[in-house]
Amino acid sequence: MTIIEEKSSINAAGGWAQMRFLPEIGDLSRIVVLGVLVVAGQILYPGFLSPENLRVVLTAVAGIGILAFGMTMVVITGEIDLSVAGVAVLSIVIGGLLLPTGSPALIIGATLLCGLGLGLVNGIFVAKLGVSSLISTLAMLGIASALANIFSAGQATYPEKIAEYMWFGRGALLGIPVPILLLAVMALACVFMTRNSTFGRKLYATGGNARAALLSGIRIDRVKIVVFAFCGLCAAITGLIESARLGYINPAAFPGLELKVLAVTVLGGAALAGGTGSVFGTLVATLIIGVVNNLLNQMGVSFYMQQVVTALVILVVVVPGMRNRRFVK
Amino acid sequence: MLKFTRRAAIGGVMSVAVFAATQGCLTAQAHAEGVHDVLNGLIASYSEHAKEGMSNKSVSELFEKDGFRDYLDAYPVGGLADGFVWKPGMGATFTGPYSKLEIKAPFTDYIPLPEGPVLDPKKTYKIGFVFHGFNHPWLISLADTAAWEAARHPNVEIEVIDAEFDDNKMGQVIDTWVAKKYDGIVLWPSREAPMGPPVDRAIDAGIPVVSVDRRTSSEKISSEVLGNFYANGLQEGLYLKEVLKAGNIVLNRKDLGSTADSIRTGAFLEVIGNVDGFSIQGNYHTNSQRTLAFQSTADALQAFNDISVSFNTGGEEAMGALDAIREAKRLNSAPDGKKIIILANDDAKEVLKEIADGNIDMVSPYTPLIGDIGIRAVIKHIGAKEGLNEAPPKLIMTPNLPMITKTKMVIEGVETMTPDEWPYAYGPAVN
Repeated sequence: MTIIEEKSSINAAGGWAQMRFLPEIGDLSRIVVLGVLVVAGQILYPGFLSPENLRVVLTAVAGIGILAFGMTMVVITGEIDLSVAGVAVLSIVIGGLLLPTGSPALIIGATLLCGLGLGLVNGIFVAKLGVSSLISTLAMLGIASALANIFSAGQATYPEKIAEYMWFGRGALLGIPVPILLLAVMALACVFMTRNSTFGRKLYATGGNARAALLSGIRIDRVKIVVFAFCGLCAAITGLIESARLGYINPAAFPGLELKVLAVTVLGGAALAGGTGSVFGTLVATLIIGVVNNLLNQMGVSFYMQQVVTALVILVVVVPGMRNRRFVK
Repeated sequence: MLKFTRRAAIGGVMSVAVFAATQGCLTAQAHAEGVHDVLNGLIASYSEHAKEGMSNKSVSELFEKDGFRDYLDAYPVGGLADGFVWKPGMGATFTGPYSKLEIKAPFTDYIPLPEGPVLDPKKTYKIGFVFHGFNHPWLISLADTAAWEAARHPNVEIEVIDAEFDDNKMGQVIDTWVAKKYDGIVLWPSREAPMGPPVDRAIDAGIPVVSVDRRTSSEKISSEVLGNFYANGLQEGLYLKEVLKAGNIVLNRKDLGSTADSIRTGAFLEVIGNVDGFSIQGNYHTNSQRTLAFQSTADALQAFNDISVSFNTGGEEAMGALDAIREAKRLNSAPDGKKIIILANDDAKEVLKEIADGNIDMVSPYTPLIGDIGIRAVIKHIGAKEGLNEAPPKLIMTPNLPMITKTKMVIEGVETMTPDEWPYAYGPAVN
């Protein structure tokens, strides 16, 4: 039994106090895989662990990592958010429409508010109107992507002149690139939220056994609305980071992002059935994907083969966990 | 015994078009030598030398591995319809009906039609224009030019449909227009094979069909308006050979097997295949995605510290590569502190800005502003069906365009143009 499954069992039994003290390290196999990849990388490329290459790896995965944190919380509640790509792209397009104002607060604020708002709508549809998250977020993906194209007339915009916007992708604090800092801050905030707050307990309870949670007095509708809104906010932050890095707000950006984020979330140990998963596991999974892609690119492996290798890594890490889970049941 | 090989398959599919191109050349009037012919002459010359062999092992290995010879031999290279000679500066200026951007379209004098009613003025002609991508600047510009041409003729009605990169949807749209007895159809197909049957059905129903930029697998199609991929890759090679004699190259390419990738990359390799100093250090398929090109370039910069050249099959790839090089502060990290040379295709306004700023070194234009040719061609086919005029050629090559560099250069007889001189750039401006 892995620690994640152990926690899940505790949740079902209502052992809140015990869960609080469990170290949330995710499946050990993920950390082992990451370690092996890092060692292999250093052997193959002596400069692999250089600060410069680590910067490249971490900035590459910062956006997808932050979004995967939001997705992890949604998945822990037993739901799914397929709208993240649409939410991300509509958010940056809305911000991009305000570029002529020249007001960073307005542009960035509108971007983040749009993400939050769309997430909120997702949450209300799922929690209050009882629409399946698969259906409602799929609809949101289509609507948001289409609106992004309608509002932008399909044309890109360039935020280069808004220094504060570009700071999200190209800035640095104390020599650390802002995307990496945002990844770290979001990771800490999400770990705290899931492990050390009352909300975290409600999160796992909602996904573990919604009926039991309801009978325990947990307002599972509120929990779901909050996680969907948070996921929308994460999508907007990801859109902000990626568009700022490239200096380019593209209404056709992020094709297939939802599947990539889901893959990272599952690789991180979250079960689509809900009730299990951890932000730390998602962070490790994000790093695994980043290291694999960096290594394969450095080795000159074709993009198509990279997709095969990434899928195999996911299977290698996830399948043993699935077998354990079956054993537990 | 017959053997089914890739060479045979591609050759078979394209042989009809090549034949048609030859026919077009033979019937064309003698024409003065413009940039189109200069570039075609260079294509023939470099292709011939490459066929005799490539001394550069690194280049020839990649050339062989990806089977570029098969694609290049089958891609049509020929003269322009009716002996047309294109000169920089030609074409009309208007506001794009969809993008609302100011457009200067280069080829509005090619297969010309005067403004006003066409064919039988008492009749109204319905033309369908189906393409993919109202979310892509290149493709919106294509639709802009098609709609503009239709709007010049009061008795032409055009319906523009975005098939959203769904081949089935495009097929259904064409079938609907066949059922509604439209007078003509123009399409920008995403892939060759799936669009063959719907095009055949339309032709069988007596409706002329013209494809622009890309091909379909239909052998019955009325006309194909094809671009200048060969000249694009060739000029990337010509520029590189002019400014550098040796160096390590990283390639950011489109989807494996796409025509744009096969012809542009193949032509580039043909040009540098006998320059021994070049070495292919990285070879990535980034599928026209800026983020993928960004990441592959960022990672390649970590793996290699002596990259001299970033070759890109498209503008998206070039912009991604430039951003990665800039982020790594490696713009001047080629051996001896020289600038990494960035080669590009597609004359989007943002790419031209980077050329003017000295960041991207050259671009081979590949203009989307050709939808108007498709509309005029289909109108002429309708006219030919009604006995009002002659049909245009089956293969309509668009004129080869000269490369754009920061300062004026003459490279093997090709006079480059500067960003300031180039009025045809597409897409939104970078402020």
